[in-house]
Amino acid sequence: MTAARRVVWVAVAIVCLSAAPVKAQSSQPAPGRVGVGFGLIWTGSQSLGSSDATETTGSGGDLVLFQTSSELTSRVGFEARVGVRVWRSLEAEASGTYATPQIRTQISGDFEGAAPITATEKVQQFSIVGGVLWRLPSIRQGSKLTPFVTGGGGYLRQLHEGDTLAESGQLYQLGGGVEYLFSHGSSGVKGIGVRTDVRAVFRTKGVAFDDGHSVSPAFAASLYARF
Amino acid sequence: MNRRAIVSVLILLICAPPQPAQAYLKFGVTVGDQRVTLKWKPGPVQYFIFDSSVPGVTSPDLQAAVARAFSTWQAVPTSSIAYQFGGLTSAQPGDDDGKSTIGFENYPDLDGVLASTSFVVDDATGELIESDIFFNASYPWSVAASGEPGKFDLESVALHEIGHFSGLGHSALGETSLSASGGRAVIAAEAVMFPIAYAPGSIVSRTLKADDIAGISDLYPDGDYATAEGSLSGRVFQNGHPFFGAHVVAFDLRTKTMVGGFSLTDQGQFSIGGLSPGPHVIRVEPLDDADVDSFFDQSVNPVNVDFQVTFDGVLVVVPRGGDSGQVLVTVQNK
Repeated sequence: MTAARRVVWVAVAIVCLSAAPVKAQSSQPAPGRVGVGFGLIWTGSQSLGSSDATETTGSGGDLVLFQTSSELTSRVGFEARVGVRVWRSLEAEASGTYATPQIRTQISGDFEGAAPITATEKVQQFSIVGGVLWRLPSIRQGSKLTPFVTGGGGYLRQLHEGDTLAESGQLYQLGGGVEYLFSHGSSGVKGIGVRTDVRAVFRTKGVAFDDGHSVSPAFAASLYARF
Repeated sequence: MNRRAIVSVLILLICAPPQPAQAYLKFGVTVGDQRVTLKWKPGPVQYFIFDSSVPGVTSPDLQAAVARAFSTWQAVPTSSIAYQFGGLTSAQPGDDDGKSTIGFENYPDLDGVLASTSFVVDDATGELIESDIFFNASYPWSVAASGEPGKFDLESVALHEIGHFSGLGHSALGETSLSASGGRAVIAAEAVMFPIAYAPGSIVSRTLKADDIAGISDLYPDGDYATAEGSLSGRVFQNGHPFFGAHVVAFDLRTKTMVGGFSLTDQGQFSIGGLSPGPHVIRVEPLDDADVDSFFDQSVNPVNVDFQVTFDGVLVVVPRGGDSGQVLVTVQNK
């Protein structure tokens, strides 16, 4: 057996050994049919792009009067969520978020030597997202820790400072996390737990300065109850 | 009936006091004790072509170039102004005959003046009655599609003068350099209504810019202009004191366009209309890229140019169909 073949055989053996206990398990249904949660969500900054203020030269070229680079800052907001089990491991979810990030525009490279500056504006941001959550098999039999993957899309509403202008956009997210059930009940509240997840959040339009997509990370943590 | 007043406007010089209202500069006249904006009454504005020519430009060439320039202004979708060719005439520009006439005239003594626009105004209402344009025949002119080295592009200069003809003053959206002789050369500009022409051979000024479009739309609003566009207003201060004559530029981060205005009162008030909704960067600069007299009569309102170019630290949001509210900008001392 050559060294290369030995590596392949070892790799196959590891896959088979690790797959065996998983195959023996099935995903654990969450107690109750309906779940509600409330918590915090941190969303990373979102680039809004760069744009130059230009004037036209006599030959039709551009003279850059100054340069700008803008972002929607990272922020912590609130998230509320409701989910309904539609199949053993599959849940339909709806969530809403609220946050108050800033648009920050760095201005530099002024043709006439103006000092660089960062101009800002506060934005109120709301989103309503519909999606699905799929619970995966627990890593250990009987564990209270349940991994899941989630995905969805929805509507983004952003209000400029002073509520002077509202802008709409779309939002899509994909991610995964874990739920930890620390209390079980038999009637009424069937369970209480915490949930954390990480997501990739794709946004389009809204306060963005172009029609392109942008992606930013998000991390959420919440308390939930199941009924 | 003494109801006529004549106001002269040159491409390099402007002698009319501005109307202290919106962006760019609009001409204003005093009617009674009120300032009113100089503009045409609704309906197509008729113009005539003075049957004249210069080397390289025949009378039909002149008529065609001027017609193209009128069409460019008339094509602005948010403006209602329309123009109508009335025919060729032997009457010269400047004749007070009730006909708006455009043509060549030879003024070799008018050094640096490529063209001029004059007005006859009803001083009871502020309405324009007549406006004449002459192109100075002592300069070399071209109507070549792609321009000609050493010759000024007639369509470009006509586009600027028709802006005056329609009631617009000068824009300060441009950068210049001083020559050894004390004259100014344009490095770049972002408005056809900038008071200094590009060097001969350039045809860049055949296209209107955002500042020109905002100006003509503000004078003759049409379509959804009033509901789709917005404005931005505020005051400019230095050392706690408001002042006159600061050039205020609003840069739209989404459309990447600029529209300029001025602080037009002793209280430093400015207002810039015709802006797309959304956040804008505000840049305030001294009026030092052209002769200040091209914009304002300094004997009436001295212009403060003794400050540094300054950006406001706040992104100002222009609402749809409304005004931003008062933006207060403090400029930095030199």
